[in-house]
Amino acid sequence: MARVLSVDMATADVADRIRPYAPLALLIILVFGVNIAEPGFANFSTLSVVLADASILFILAAGMTFVIMLGGIDLSVQAAASFASMVVAELLPRVGYFAFPITILVGLLIGLASGFVHVKLRISSFIATLATGGIMTGLSLLMADGHTVAILATGREQCLWIADAWLFNIPNVAFIALVVAIAGMLVQRYTRFGRYSVAIGAGEPAARAAGIAVDRYKIMAFGFSGALAAFGGAALAARLSSGSPDLANQLLLPTIAAVIVAGTAITGGVGSIGRTVVGAAIVSIVRIGMTFVGIDIFAQQIVFGAALVFAVFVTIDRSKIPIIK
Amino acid sequence: MALASQSAPPEAGADSQVRTPRTKHSRAPGGGGSVWRARLLEFGPLLVLIALCLCLGALNPSFFSFRNLVWGLANSAAIPLILAMGATFIILMGSIDLSVEGVLSVGATIVVLLCINDSNANNFGWWGPLLAIAACTALGFLNGFVHVVLRIPSFMATLGLWFVGLGIGTVALGGSAVRVLDPHIRALAFERVLAFPLPVWFAAAAFLFALFLERRTRFGRYVYAIGGGEDIAELSGVPVKRTRILAFTLAGFFTGLAAVLAVAQLGQANTTIADGRMFMTVTAVVVGGTALTGGWGGVGNSLVGVLIVQVLANGMVLLGVSPYVHEAVQGLMIIAAVALSIRRGGSLMIK
Amino acid sequence: MLRVDAINKSFGGVRALRDASIEVRPHEVVGLIGENGAGKSTLMRILSGSMRPDSGVIAVDGSRVALRDTHQANECGIALVFQEQSLLVNMSVAENIFLAQEGPFTRFGVVGRGRMMAAARACLAKVGLDIDPARKAGELSFAARQMVELAKALALEDRTDAPLTILLDEPTSVLESKDIAILFDRMRALKARASFIFVSHRLDEVLEISDRVYVMKDGAVVAERSADVSSVSELHAMMVGRELDGEYYREARQASSSTDIVLEARGLTVDGVFHDVDFALRRGEVLGIAGVIGSGREGLARTLFGFLPQSAGTLRINGQETILRSPTQAVAAGIGYVPRERRVEGLVMDMSVAANVTLASLKAAMRHGVIDHRLERKIADDWIRRLGIKTPSSAQVCRKLSGGNQQKIVLARWLTARSHILILDHPTRGLDVGAKEEVYDLIRDLSSDGIAIVLTSDTLEETIGLCHTILVMRDGAITARFAAPAGAKPTQVALLEHMV
Repeated sequence: MARVLSVDMATADVADRIRPYAPLALLIILVFGVNIAEPGFANFSTLSVVLADASILFILAAGMTFVIMLGGIDLSVQAAASFASMVVAELLPRVGYFAFPITILVGLLIGLASGFVHVKLRISSFIATLATGGIMTGLSLLMADGHTVAILATGREQCLWIADAWLFNIPNVAFIALVVAIAGMLVQRYTRFGRYSVAIGAGEPAARAAGIAVDRYKIMAFGFSGALAAFGGAALAARLSSGSPDLANQLLLPTIAAVIVAGTAITGGVGSIGRTVVGAAIVSIVRIGMTFVGIDIFAQQIVFGAALVFAVFVTIDRSKIPIIK
Repeated sequence: MALASQSAPPEAGADSQVRTPRTKHSRAPGGGGSVWRARLLEFGPLLVLIALCLCLGALNPSFFSFRNLVWGLANSAAIPLILAMGATFIILMGSIDLSVEGVLSVGATIVVLLCINDSNANNFGWWGPLLAIAACTALGFLNGFVHVVLRIPSFMATLGLWFVGLGIGTVALGGSAVRVLDPHIRALAFERVLAFPLPVWFAAAAFLFALFLERRTRFGRYVYAIGGGEDIAELSGVPVKRTRILAFTLAGFFTGLAAVLAVAQLGQANTTIADGRMFMTVTAVVVGGTALTGGWGGVGNSLVGVLIVQVLANGMVLLGVSPYVHEAVQGLMIIAAVALSIRRGGSLMIK
Repeated sequence: MLRVDAINKSFGGVRALRDASIEVRPHEVVGLIGENGAGKSTLMRILSGSMRPDSGVIAVDGSRVALRDTHQANECGIALVFQEQSLLVNMSVAENIFLAQEGPFTRFGVVGRGRMMAAARACLAKVGLDIDPARKAGELSFAARQMVELAKALALEDRTDAPLTILLDEPTSVLESKDIAILFDRMRALKARASFIFVSHRLDEVLEISDRVYVMKDGAVVAERSADVSSVSELHAMMVGRELDGEYYREARQASSSTDIVLEARGLTVDGVFHDVDFALRRGEVLGIAGVIGSGREGLARTLFGFLPQSAGTLRINGQETILRSPTQAVAAGIGYVPRERRVEGLVMDMSVAANVTLASLKAAMRHGVIDHRLERKIADDWIRRLGIKTPSSAQVCRKLSGGNQQKIVLARWLTARSHILILDHPTRGLDVGAKEEVYDLIRDLSSDGIAIVLTSDTLEETIGLCHTILVMRDGAITARFAAPAGAKPTQVALLEHMV
């Protein structure tokens, strides 16, 4: 009996040690794998596309990371991003560069509202964000009145800092994402908010009993999520030179996947922005890789949907939820 | 020096302040205030419905015209009602089903590809709808299986199936719309019996069936028991796992039925046939008064909820309000409905 | 009829039951008494099938049975009526009584409501409850619900041939006296069809209703008495009676506290939990609160940390009147809380030692508005050294440490936060003897440093040994106050008299 136990424990130990590196390993395998399947993949221009896609995805997923680490979820990301694209498109001709900070501010406010509804009205986060997402979609549709809003002339110039590729032909958006990533990691490691988010996600009762104002930080996390979703939407609008109510429509699933596939558990407390970087890269490679290989975007959803369930199955901490509803 | 063993066996109930989602043991029995509140909650949605109808009728009398009541209201409410039946049982247990759109998509695709259509030479007639309903039921079972056996929270399991289903449905369509050319299937949406189109009759039948299940079968009771106190239910011998899987399978069945009607109504299956339906279904159930935490409400509530949502939609059309506002209004309705129905002894931690 | 022999049960190295043996004969009420933690609940759980013993024999009518789950227990005629109400409030009385037992009323999948209601009425008649079985359980009073639970237990009669044994776990703690009288009346009438095991800490009630009484202490059954020749004080004496070793609790170090009052309560009330609580806590004083479940002491501890704001009365911290509406406020007011559920409320188990230590006072580890990880490590290392916490490093995840070390980390946290009032809720629960002694030393250290402590503990011994003053609570009110200076400690029996 003892021998079996110690062998079990040895395997468990090994598994424990491998687990954090699994996503990174997966990423490397994927790059090589796709390249083998379709040799044209690993050239610069394709990778450039992947990088741009991953960057936008990452910006959206970074906000989602904070929310998921707290143990919640934000289903309004695509609605927020699309809404932001509309806002930025409408504002650029009117206020120039100020359109960007204003859009982010709007995203922040809506995110805070979602957080408020979730925390103070005690509505579970997916319903609360489903509801606020619906409201935003409605508003976007109203603003658009059935059309997309094109970004013209001067507006396009003002978008170049996102849409262009200045340094060695690497898309600017990648550098922007890098800045967001570094900022995110700094926030996680060095700020009160970062520390408390982990604590609340990993042990909410203990965080509460240590005097942490849990409600406040939860609302903040949703605020960040909203702001980053808005930023992502604005970036998307800048690259596509237009805003529309369904611009970000297919991005909800990849965003959630980016966070979870990389090892952040939906039960909260485990995970980091760093992981999301890897996750966004994995998801983008898979997306573009699949398109490259000929799997269309709808079929990709099958893959992602299944991968999501599998990733959750592996990472979920069942001791946190005694009754699985 | 041996001391008394104080540690592990916590006295029953000692953890109640700290344990997360604890079942609803109300500490004080229904005193005056909360009985009043309970009654208000029971009849609130119905009162809201009546008030809405009166207001709209006052603003635009054509609301009460027979044509509007039959086509604008009853017929439009048919598919949402069928979907709401399935969703109700799941929400009564305290879970959620986000996969409706994916499953519906699969069902619609199967119907259209098997009947006479403009993309292939099939002519399987009624096999299309039958197989679609079977397939959707199987998908519902898969939902339940993944949720119960793999022990994944329902929102995650159904989120996955939502996208998988959507993917399967749209890929099989080849990415574009396929039109139904079979007159029998199209007739499903337009044939009238006693002045009401068939979808209304199907919806009524679905409602009565769901009502029967809820009130008169053990399954119905078990659903309420699980929602009211899963740990107590389990201890008492309620077959929780089996009931959960059955509820999700049932939801799949209803979704399949709705898919057939949707294709008949639209005359085609396309990539957007399922759009927005999940959100509307959840809104209807919640607005009708069924608590998201489970244990309270029922299909009767969902009927009222569906009617409220439909009346509002219909009203907005009659008043000339932009249809885009509808989704935003639904969002506000969910928030208001849930906020008003909290404090039924919910858990300390809302995730 | 029902016989339990030499039952043993341990939880992770702690013996909950030692060779416990009891017997229940037909048509009798057997009382089961004992202190908190004596093993009564564990024994009930084993009998009702929700827990399996490590060893021992259970026999019904002479034949051995293995109670693997509640169903098997039910089949042997054993039904447990829970201490905490376990009816589903959203379902009707009839549905509750026949939950998962609707089979007999079901034909072709349809449940016959009429027949079920009639059967429910019959069950309710057995306990003399005249209510409409279609009413929702949530609408009934506690007393009525208790009766419904009893009826539910009695419904077993129709499902099994085995003689009925109904286990009542603290059934009267939420009842008023007239309802208790009714309950006892029914029980006497029902003795014709069932036997009862009546677990309670209310000794006078136990003596009133029982034919025989078993006394449990430290996991073992230490005595059996016939109820009519026993008295409450005799039972008290048998429940306790351990030797108090003053040295164990470092009594010698118990210095007299100063006269500055840091925490004062007047008429403190939380509706339904406790009322009119008055006390004054001084610097360096250790104030103990003794009481059984339902006495209100757990609620009082939670109120003092902001989990449960008072509905009436005043609370003064350092002379300042406040209402603590959240733990955040309590911490800001300089109060710390060492919770009973260390793993859930005490530490964030998957975070490091260092992170947990600074959790309540992150400011101490921050420089220029950001977290200085080196400073945080230094703070943690400091406490690791001073409190003797055994851990490979301050970066170690708390989950991997032993209970005693975990508890020290919680204390380190409040010391970092410079709390001047500490609420210790069962601080030595789950710790081995060595760890307990270290905690006692720490408590003495804290006390001499001027920190005021409110202590609720599992054992009377611990309370008496550690505290300067002891408040005894029962049914939500303070029933006695004891001064417990070193060398002149009150006896356990003296406390117990006011607790039960």
